[in-house]
Amino acid sequence: MQITEIFKLAIEAIRVNKLRSVLTSLGIIIGVAAIILLVSIGSGLQNYVTSEFKKLGANSIFILPGKVEISAAGTSAQSVNKLTFALMNKLEQAKSPNIEKVLPFIEIFVTASNKNSSKVTRLVASYSDYFAISGIKTSEGRIYTDSEEKSSKKVAVIGKTIAKDLYKNQSPIGKQISLSKKPFTVIGVFEPQGSVAGVDVDNAVIIPLSAGRNLTGTDLVNQVLVRTTSTENIQEAKKDIEKILLRTLSEDDFTIMTQEQLLSSILQILGVLTLALGGIAAISLVVGGVGISNIMLVSVTERTREIGLRKAVGARPSDILIQFLLEAVILSLVGGAIGLLIGATGSFLISAYIKSSVPLWAIFLGVGFSSLVGIIFGVAPAIRASRLDPIVALRYE
Amino acid sequence: MAPIISTKNLCKYYGEEDNITKAVDNVSVKIDKGEFVAIIGPSGSGKSTLMHIIGCLDKPTSGQYFLENKQLAQFSENELAKIRNDQIGFVFQSFNLLPRTSAQKNVELPLVYAKVRAGEREKRAQDLLKKLGLGEKFQSTPAKLSGGQQQRVAIARALVNNPLILLADEPTGNLDTKASFEIMDILKNLNQEGITVVMITHEVDIAKQAKRIISMRDGKIVNDKKVIKNKKNADYGNI
Repeated sequence: MQITEIFKLAIEAIRVNKLRSVLTSLGIIIGVAAIILLVSIGSGLQNYVTSEFKKLGANSIFILPGKVEISAAGTSAQSVNKLTFALMNKLEQAKSPNIEKVLPFIEIFVTASNKNSSKVTRLVASYSDYFAISGIKTSEGRIYTDSEEKSSKKVAVIGKTIAKDLYKNQSPIGKQISLSKKPFTVIGVFEPQGSVAGVDVDNAVIIPLSAGRNLTGTDLVNQVLVRTTSTENIQEAKKDIEKILLRTLSEDDFTIMTQEQLLSSILQILGVLTLALGGIAAISLVVGGVGISNIMLVSVTERTREIGLRKAVGARPSDILIQFLLEAVILSLVGGAIGLLIGATGSFLISAYIKSSVPLWAIFLGVGFSSLVGIIFGVAPAIRASRLDPIVALRYE
Repeated sequence: MAPIISTKNLCKYYGEEDNITKAVDNVSVKIDKGEFVAIIGPSGSGKSTLMHIIGCLDKPTSGQYFLENKQLAQFSENELAKIRNDQIGFVFQSFNLLPRTSAQKNVELPLVYAKVRAGEREKRAQDLLKKLGLGEKFQSTPAKLSGGQQQRVAIARALVNNPLILLADEPTGNLDTKASFEIMDILKNLNQEGITVVMITHEVDIAKQAKRIISMRDGKIVNDKKVIKNKKNADYGNI
């Protein structure tokens, strides 16, 4: 029997039992949709992180407190922070020919409030260069100046979310804002940045580094960004920094990572995370496969007489086998295609909130996996059908 | 002329050693081309089993079976499927048509497995349905046909591959008297055109319309006689 004829038969059998076919495919639909959605979030996140890092420029080096090991197995860090501002000033004053700029910053969570309401927000304290380097522009008002930074002016550039929550429809420029109960003046609102993985980037306040030091009352920095004079001398700059820091600190007190190293480490973690989530979703595909297997067994029993008749008029066991196998594969493939559509639509809909994009390999993976499920779980019922004794099958009521 | 069907000491046993059922017990029979044979006997006499072996749906436990001088004992499952496909036409008591499938598609079924192209299949199926008086019913599903019409579709399906033999298993068992006679007329006409027909029945009236009656009991042939026309109450064995 030609494959096209068998194909028509399988389609016909699925068409006759529409509701049952849809319910049977549901497991596959959900499984593939879940895989596509999770993978698209994961890969969207990777794309976002990559583009954000690229913005910083390839001539960036990060100094992190403690010995930080970023790997697929997780991040481990010794929590004692020994990176002080004094040390950063020394780094700046060392005037290494490879280092263009040292940009330390503090990043903590504080409560921002005014007389109307209050909100927990992310506080970033840094030099005014922070705006240029991270590509943040104001949509209203202005950023703080170098002199304001040097004189520890209590000024703040706030995000759209804070502006909306604390000042409703009024312009926040010139208004008071309390950060950890210390009064600051709002001088600018930065352009909406959206959200990354559900975290609202616009729920943030940026203040001068010196004011941040006064606010936190510590002499420690969370993170330091070092700009090298060019992309070629990154390794030399790294050695320079190491040499200077080792004068006062031990090797375990800090970690130096180039943009490339940090990026690849983070991407590796995200990749493993994406795979793990996709793997969990894949379990539902297996459950869907069991559903197909189950319904195909029912179908074989129901159509016992048909199978007997087909054999009596000349169907070979292999003809029957392929007929039922193809039916299972089409069920799961159609389910896979619908799941793919739902997953891609879902990914598109959430892309406004969470960066997501459907990579091409996920499409192939979804389709490939679902047809594989159809074959694996369709084999047992198909073999049972092909082995039916025609006499017994013809007599079956 | 060599017989089209020939069996020698054919046996089919079921069950284990101490509880053995001899469904077909040492049957040797020859059927020539162009014969119209009725096999009669009570249920359990082995007539169905014998027909299944003749129709290559079942394999004998021992003995030999020659179809057109070919020994079938060593044939594989696929080879037997091919023989069923192009040398044997089956007609069943319960028609066994595919539901939700048109009369024409039902008739085409054996041709699909014979890898005949769609256009050719269509033509052959339609020609046969027309010949059997179903020219208007190509697209009707079995549910929309009467019992007699369904059996005619089944006969068309059995003939579509020009088989050597037509095997009919109680072809009138599910039909009323009028439809039964219609079907028997069709079988007789086909036989006159040269098709060999082997039919199972337990009704003497139906069996008498064949040219030869083989009576079976307990797996053995107990009587094998030519039908003598116009002779009432002829002895065709102990039915």
